[in-house]
Amino acid sequence: MKAIRQFFENQRRHFEGNAPLARLEPFYEAMERVFFGTGQVTGQAPHARDSLTVQRYMMLVIVMLLPCLFFGMYNVGLQSFKAAGQPLDFWPMMVFGAKIVLPLVIISYLFGFGWEIVFSAIRKHPISEGVFVTAMLFPLTLPPSTPWWQAALGISFGVVLGKEVFGGTGRNFLNPALTGRAFLYFAYPIQMSGDAVWTAVYNHGAQAVDAVTAATPLALATTAPASQTVEQTLAAAGYDFSTLFLGFYPDSIGASSALLCLIGAVVLMIIGVASYRIILGDIIGVLALGYVLNLFAGEGSAPYLGMNPFYHLIIGGTAFGIAFMTTDPVSAPDTHAARWIYGFFIGALTVLIRVFNPAFPEGIMLAILFMNVFAPVLDHLVIRLRIRKRIPNI
Amino acid sequence: MQKLTMKKGYRFRMAGAPADELVVLPAPARVAVLPERIPHIKPRLLVKKGDQVQIGSPLFEDKRNPRLRFLSPGGGTIHDISFGPRRVVQAIVIDRKENPEPETRFQAVTESQLAQIDRQALVDRILDGGMWWAFRELPFRDLPAPDGEPPFILVSLNAKEPFQPSPAVYLKDHEQLLAYGLKALNVLAPGRVRVFADASESSVIEKAGQWLTHVVSGNYPCDDPATVLYRIKSDASQNRAWFVAGQDLLALAHLLREGRYPIRRVVAVAGSAAPDRRHCQIRLGAPLSQLVDDARLRGGERFVVGGLFRGYSSDSDGYVGFYETAVNVVPEGGDPEFLALFNPGVSRPSYSRTFLSRLNPKALVYNCNMHGDLRACIACMHCADVCPVDLLPQMIYKSILAEEVEEYLELGLLDCVECGLCSYVCPSKIELSRTFIATKAAYAKEQAVKPD
Repeated sequence: MKAIRQFFENQRRHFEGNAPLARLEPFYEAMERVFFGTGQVTGQAPHARDSLTVQRYMMLVIVMLLPCLFFGMYNVGLQSFKAAGQPLDFWPMMVFGAKIVLPLVIISYLFGFGWEIVFSAIRKHPISEGVFVTAMLFPLTLPPSTPWWQAALGISFGVVLGKEVFGGTGRNFLNPALTGRAFLYFAYPIQMSGDAVWTAVYNHGAQAVDAVTAATPLALATTAPASQTVEQTLAAAGYDFSTLFLGFYPDSIGASSALLCLIGAVVLMIIGVASYRIILGDIIGVLALGYVLNLFAGEGSAPYLGMNPFYHLIIGGTAFGIAFMTTDPVSAPDTHAARWIYGFFIGALTVLIRVFNPAFPEGIMLAILFMNVFAPVLDHLVIRLRIRKRIPNI
Repeated sequence: MQKLTMKKGYRFRMAGAPADELVVLPAPARVAVLPERIPHIKPRLLVKKGDQVQIGSPLFEDKRNPRLRFLSPGGGTIHDISFGPRRVVQAIVIDRKENPEPETRFQAVTESQLAQIDRQALVDRILDGGMWWAFRELPFRDLPAPDGEPPFILVSLNAKEPFQPSPAVYLKDHEQLLAYGLKALNVLAPGRVRVFADASESSVIEKAGQWLTHVVSGNYPCDDPATVLYRIKSDASQNRAWFVAGQDLLALAHLLREGRYPIRRVVAVAGSAAPDRRHCQIRLGAPLSQLVDDARLRGGERFVVGGLFRGYSSDSDGYVGFYETAVNVVPEGGDPEFLALFNPGVSRPSYSRTFLSRLNPKALVYNCNMHGDLRACIACMHCADVCPVDLLPQMIYKSILAEEVEEYLELGLLDCVECGLCSYVCPSKIELSRTFIATKAAYAKEQAVKPD
C-alpha cells in the first residue's frame, strides 16, 4: 500500500500546474481513485458525507455484467463448436470464445476510455466512470463475428456522439452503448443482421465451409409457419423454454442468458443501483402487450401474435436490455412516476417492433432509444402534476 | 394531540450520542457573541474595545431594523472585537468580572400580568430584553418583523439532528417555565401556537404532553419546524410561519418572568471523537475549550458547533453561538483510504444499500471525508427520496444553475428545510443544500428591497 501511495505521490507532479501532462489531470485522478479514496474533506455543512461514490455505483453494474461476459465467452465457443461439429469440451470452447470476445472488450475499453480522456482534457471535465460501464455493455451486444474495426468505430460513435458532444456523462440523453450499437446496425447491416453473424466461424481450413449456422430464435419466431405455434417451431429447432432461459443459443455475445440478466437485475434492484420501477415497468409492458397480441391471434394470423408473452422476455436481447440498458439512470427519466411509464412503453414497443416489423427482428434497442428521447417529456409532465399538487411558496 | 408520521428523511445509526447526565459547568472567564453566526442580520456595533458592559447591555443592533438589539451575555470589559473578510463582525469577546457580575434588570411580567398584557406591550418587552432573536420566520429563517402577524408559531422541542440536547434533559425542572413561555406565545398568536416533540421522547410527552399539539414520528429532520409546517399548512398564506426552538423559548420565558437576561444554556457535547459525551449547562457564549478538553484529543478532529448537518466548524478556541446548542467532535478523516472503492463497507455509513453496513446493527463512525469527487449528476434520485418535503433537489439545482427563478420557486425551493440531507446522500458530491441556502438568502435580500 505504501509503495502504491508513494508511486502516486511521485507521479502527481507531472499532472499539476504547468507540468506537461497537466491537461491529463482527470486521467491521473481516475487512476488514483482505483486504489485510493479521496483525501478531500468537507468545507461546510453537512459535515459528513455518504460513503457512496459514482465510482462504486458504476463498479457494481460492471460486477453484475461479468457473469454475462463469461457466459458469453462460453456460449460463443459452444455455438461455433456445434456449428462446426466439433466435440463439445468445456475448455477448448471457453478458450475459443475468449479469443473472440476479449479482443472486442479490450478494443471497446481502449477506444471508449481513450475518447473519454481526450474529451476530459479538452473540455476540462473529470473522467466519468460511466464510460467503463458503456465500454462493457457495448461489446456484449455485438454479434460474435463483428470485425474489430467496427467495434472500434461503434464505441467511438457511442461515446463521442452519444455522450461527449452533449457534455459528457450526466448530460447525454441517449444511452451511449446503444447509440453505438444502433450506429453499427444501420451503417453495416450486412455484418449486423442475418443468420450467419451470430455464430463465430470456427476456422480450421476446409472445415469452416462445413459449418452449419443455426438460425436465431428471433428469426425463427418471425418466420414460423402458420401451421405451427412459435413455441413448437422453436422447440423443433432445439430451443425449448429452458434452453432459451439459460441462453444456449446463438445471439449477441453477452445478451442471451435471461437467467444471468435476471440475477443481475435482482441484485441491482436490491442494492438500489437499478430502478425497480423501470425494470418492473419493462416487464409489465412486455407481458401486457404480448397478452394483448394473444387476443388477436387466431386462424390465419401470424403465429408470432399467439406466442406466449414470457417468450418475449427470454429470447433475444430483451432481458439484457431490461436489466442493464433501460436502467441507465441518466438517459431514463428522473421522476419515479415517469420511470414506470418509461419502462412500460419500452416493454410494449419492444413487442410491437418485434412482431409487426420484420425488418427489425430485435426491438428492444430501438424501443429504448426511442423512449430515451421521450424521457424529458415524461419528466416534464410528471413535474407539472407535482407542482400542481404543491401548496405554492413564493 | 395530533400524530404526524413522516416517512422520508434519514435514520442514522451514528456513534457518539451524548449521555443523559447534565453537568453544570462553572462560569468561564470569557464569553462571546458571534454576530457572524446569526443569519441575515447586518450588525451595527454599539460598543468598542475596552468598554464596560453589563449582562443585558446592548452590544449591537441590526441595521435593517434598529429595534432588534442583541445584548451581552456577560458583565465586564469588552476584550476584543474580531473582524473577518469584508469587515464582517465575527466575535465580540467579553472579559467577565466576578462577584458581583454587573447586570441590567428588566421589568418582569408575572403570570397574572401575562394574562392581561396586550400584544404590543409584550412585543416591546421582548424587544427591550433583546430576545427577539428567539423568533425566526420561515422560509428564510430570518428574524421576523416585530409587528407582523404570524400564521403559526411553531415550537420544536427537540432536534433529531445528530447530536442535539435531549429535551428530557433541558426541560427537567423547567416545565413551568415552558408553560409560561407558551402562554406568552399565545398572546402573540392566539390559538396559532403549535408545539411538537418527537414520538421517541416518551418522558417529555408524559410530562409536557398537555402542552403538545403534535407528536411527530419519523427520521431526521421530521421534527424541524419547516417539515412540520409543510405537513400542517393548508394554503399559501401560512408559509411565513414563525418558529422558536425549545431552549430559546425557555430563554424568552426566563427574560419575561424574571426580568433578567437569560444566560443559561444546555449544550450537548457529543460525536465519536469527543472525550466526554454528555449534556453540559453552560453560560450563553461559553468558549469551546470549556466543553472539550483539548489535551485528551488524539489529533485530527473537527469541532462542529451545532449538529453535524447544519453546524459550522470551528477551531478549538472558538465560542458557542446564540442559536447553537451542541458541540460535536468528529474525526476529520483526511487520509485517503486504500482501496476504498472495493471496500465491502461493513462499517461505512451510507443511505444507499450498496454497503454491508446495511446489515450491521452497530452504531457507525461518521467522519468529514468527502468520500468521493465532484461528478455530474447521474439522476440516482437519492436526494429526492430523502427530501422530507418532497422536493426534487436535482431539478431545483439545475434550474438554479440556469437562473430560472420562476421555475425553482415553483418547484418549491422555499419549502427547503435546509437539513443538508440532499448534499449528504449525493454520490456525485454536489453541494445541493449549500446552493439552496445561498439562493434562498439571495432571494430574501431581493424581496427585502422591494417597495411595499
